[in-house]
Parts: sequence; structure tokens; C-alpha cells
Amino acid sequence: MLLSGQPVGPVYPADVIRMVAEGSLAPQRAVNWLSVLERRAGARPGADGESGAPAGASDALEAAWRDLDKLIGLDRVKTHLREVLAYAHMQVLRQQHGLHTEPIVLHTVMFGRPGTGKTTVARLMSRILHAAGLLSKGHIVETERADLVGEYVGHTAQRTKEQIRKATGGVLFVDEAYSLMRGGEKDFGREAIDCLVKAMEDQRHDLVVILAGYPEEMAEFLAVNPGLESRFPIQIEFPDYTLAEMQEIARLMCQERDYELSEAAAEALGVYVSIARLLPNFGNARVIRNVLEGAMRRQAWRLLNPDADARRRGLSRRELMQLLPEDLGEEVLACAKWSSSASPTPGRRSFS
Amino acid sequence: MREVVVVGQPNAGKTLFLLNFAAYTGLSVADLALRAEDGTTTTKSLPLSAARRNLVDAARHKTQVVQSLELRFPSGKTARFARVSDTPGLADAISPDAVLRRAMAAALEALRRADVVLHMIDAALVGRHGEAAVAAVDREIADYGFARGPYALLANKQDLPLARAGTNVLRRMFPGRRVIPVSALQRRGFREVKLFVWRHV
Repeated sequence: MLLSGQPVGPVYPADVIRMVAEGSLAPQRAVNWLSVLERRAGARPGADGESGAPAGASDALEAAWRDLDKLIGLDRVKTHLREVLAYAHMQVLRQQHGLHTEPIVLHTVMFGRPGTGKTTVARLMSRILHAAGLLSKGHIVETERADLVGEYVGHTAQRTKEQIRKATGGVLFVDEAYSLMRGGEKDFGREAIDCLVKAMEDQRHDLVVILAGYPEEMAEFLAVNPGLESRFPIQIEFPDYTLAEMQEIARLMCQERDYELSEAAAEALGVYVSIARLLPNFGNARVIRNVLEGAMRRQAWRLLNPDADARRRGLSRRELMQLLPEDLGEEVLACAKWSSSASPTPGRRSFS
Repeated sequence: MREVVVVGQPNAGKTLFLLNFAAYTGLSVADLALRAEDGTTTTKSLPLSAARRNLVDAARHKTQVVQSLELRFPSGKTARFARVSDTPGLADAISPDAVLRRAMAAALEALRRADVVLHMIDAALVGRHGEAAVAAVDREIADYGFARGPYALLANKQDLPLARAGTNVLRRMFPGRRVIPVSALQRRGFREVKLFVWRHV
């Protein structure tokens, strides 16, 4: 909802942008605020030109750090990244003061099952590195085997180079990287790896390569390519989310979309997750997202189908927002039913 | 690389201008860098004709993310490059739609970062309705852009009647600013825009 007229105006230009997004400031007033704030700061944005960090860098950096902090769980990942990125940022600052610097290599391997936040963290990494002035663009190019490996001799290098060109200035994210080794000696995947390794050396100042995939397969992949492991100084493990974290993620996902889970629905989802996460290929946060997106569709039909009485008397704001257990789908309901018949206090047991 | 941003009200013709202007500078396939509201970018390759079909619409608020193209400006034997960004339209009022609000926030962010501001106003609309058609947000952008760096006002839709009268109104309202009459549709005035951008990147 729109915030009521606040007495305090924005303090930083980044506040202005945020307030427009929140709806507490009209774009017309926002432009005016930008003029005022930037005049106050005394510096014309972009005046520092090509050198060093881009305009408004500290705002962007702060915002990116904040977004990283906002991610649920992932405590070890965050601590690790914070140190690595702070060190990288430090090298830039030291360089500006003419102090001795170490060459920064930021190529990364991410180990984690699906839905544990690898891509999200990769995106944030790119943003942070950009804001710190280490990457010129700060975007991410997501690739997988099919984008890198060609169909005939000589095609692979072309394809891989094309992806590298696109990713220059940002992050090249290779999902399920071990699939590059699939298919044995004669497979073109090898060529893609060689090409990547070369680019990682040549363009290490403006390209970060991130390999990601299932922990076991990635470990094996690195083990059979001993040269590869040493080129990726940063290795991050993404643990599965705990039950409590998953519930928090569900709550947040709903909140972001202006929905809410009824108490019973939250309970049912908790039971479902605690069972589903025992499966070998459990998709973590992605499962939650899929269940919730399905629930939003089912809720729509529940309220708008020709027989719904809610449709006749008009819908309240609360009804528009609330997701009930029956919206969550058969699988979730079945789990909840099974569990309530099996034990009196279901779903509260933690499997973590 | 220098950043050039095209800003203005919804439906001023920003997206069509960017795409036709890109074609004018010799681009045939657009490597569109789409900057989502969370600040991340993804790249998408589209032939320009397909991009026009997909991205340009008479409906208001068609563009919801910042779309940028790298354009090449030949100068002698070498060339200068600039990233030209098209932005979601800025309206005066606070929109009740959260998606639109975030889109506008992204547009403001792009405006703030830009080295060169191209401010697009529908001159035909101004010709028909006079100064009233110039929104408060347009006046603010004109002040903001002019105060902080290279700024040009593109009086668009010169292919429509009354656009010339509108251009004169704009010249009177914004003294001292560079006003360039253009038609995004008929690709008129592009040479002057190109020179202006070239000089400042």
C-alpha cells in the first residue's frame, strides 16, 4: 500500500529510486529530489568517467550487499562471499592509493543441489563486483552444455567464444558444468573446457567464470580435471535449506507477491516440505516456488469459478490475498492428510 | 563506455526511436541488454524487425524494463561506442501498479547514471494541446538533464500534423536547451541526433 505522507524526505538518491518503486513518491517529485540531492552532494554523477567505480557506486554496492543479506539462510555462503568480495574490493582501493596489490582471481565453483540459490547468489556476485568497480558491466550470462558445445569439429570453440564475448564484463555462469565431460574422450566438451580455461586466464580482469552443479558430480568433475581445480580459487558449498528456512522462504515469496498463507496452509506446506525433502532430487526453494505458483492459480479458480459464491457477493481484499490448504494441490494435501493420521503433532519434527 | 539514456512520458516514442535509430547507425541484429528492476541484466539477440514487432505498441507503458543497445558511431578510421538505453515511460502520478512503479524506478535509476540524456516529448500532442501536454515530470527532467550534462530535447512525431507548432512551444518553454525535431517513425532528424550523441560520447 502507499505510505502516508512522510515528513522526512529521501536522503540519498538511492532512497528516491526505492521510494518510487514503493509508491511513496511520484516520479515527477522524484526527478526534482534527484536534482536537489545531487546538487547537495556537489558532484555531478558520472563526472569521474571511466576511472574507478561507476557513478553512484557506493549506493549500488550497499544495495547489492543488502540484497545478499536479505537472502534466507545461506549463512556460510554469505560469510564466505563477504570476505572474498571485501578482499577484492580492498585490492581496488589499495591500487588507487598506490599500494601493493595481489592479482585478483574470482573464478568460482558452486556446489549445491537444485534450488539452493546458486544462480541468485551468482547474480548478486556480479552486481557487487560491478559496483566495486571490478567488472565493467555486472551482468550474468547463464549457459549450459548446449550453449557451449558445438555440433561438428571446430564449432565448439566458436560457440564458447561467443558466450565468453557476451559475458565479458560480467559473469559467465555454467550450469551443470560436469556435463561438459559427458561422452568420453572424443566429445567436444573438452574443447569447450579448454576454451573456457584460456579465456579465464586472458580476461581475468573483466570476466568471472562460475561453474555450478550437484555437489557429488562437481567434485568428481574437478577430481578428473586436476588442472581445473587450481584455477577456481573460490569454492562455495550451498547446503540444502532447513525446514525452518524453507518456511521462511515460503512466507517471503508470498509476501513479495502480496499473498499470504493461511495458518492451515502454512502447516500443510510444512508437512509436505518435510516429506519431500527426503527425496534425492529435491528442488529446495524451487519446489516452494512451484507449489505457490500452482496455489495462486488454484486460488484464482476457487474464487472465480462459476459455482463460487464468493464471485456473486464480490471478493474482499483478504480473500484476494489468502491461500488456503486446498489451493496447495493434491500432493501437498495428501502429505498433510497422511501425516495427521499418522501422528498427533505432524510436521513439527525437523529433519535437519 | 558512455551511457546514453532516452527518457520521457509513456508513448512518446522512445522504443521505436531506439530501434530505428539503431538501424540508422548500421545495426541489424539487436543484442538487447535488458536491465530488470533488481539491477541485473540479461542479453537477448533479436533481429531489429522482430524487436520492433515485439517491443513497440500503441498501448501505454509497453516498455517495462530498461533496454539497452550498444551502438557504433564511426569517426574517421575508428569508431566510438555508446550504450543507448530505452526506459519505461515516466508519468506524473504514483501508479497503483507495483510493476509499473518498479519500472519507473528503473527508468529513474538509468536517468541518474546516464552521461547523455535524450529527452523525448510528443510534439504533435503539444501542438494540439499546448503547454498543458507537457507533464510536470517533463519539466523536471528538462531542468535535471540540462543542469547536469549533455542534454537534448527530441521533439518527436514530426510526421503528424501540428508537430511543428508543438516544437515551437517546446522551444519557448525550454529556452537554452537543444531541441531536435525528429520522427522516430519516418527516421527524420536522426543525423542531428547522431552528431549530438557522437560529440558527447
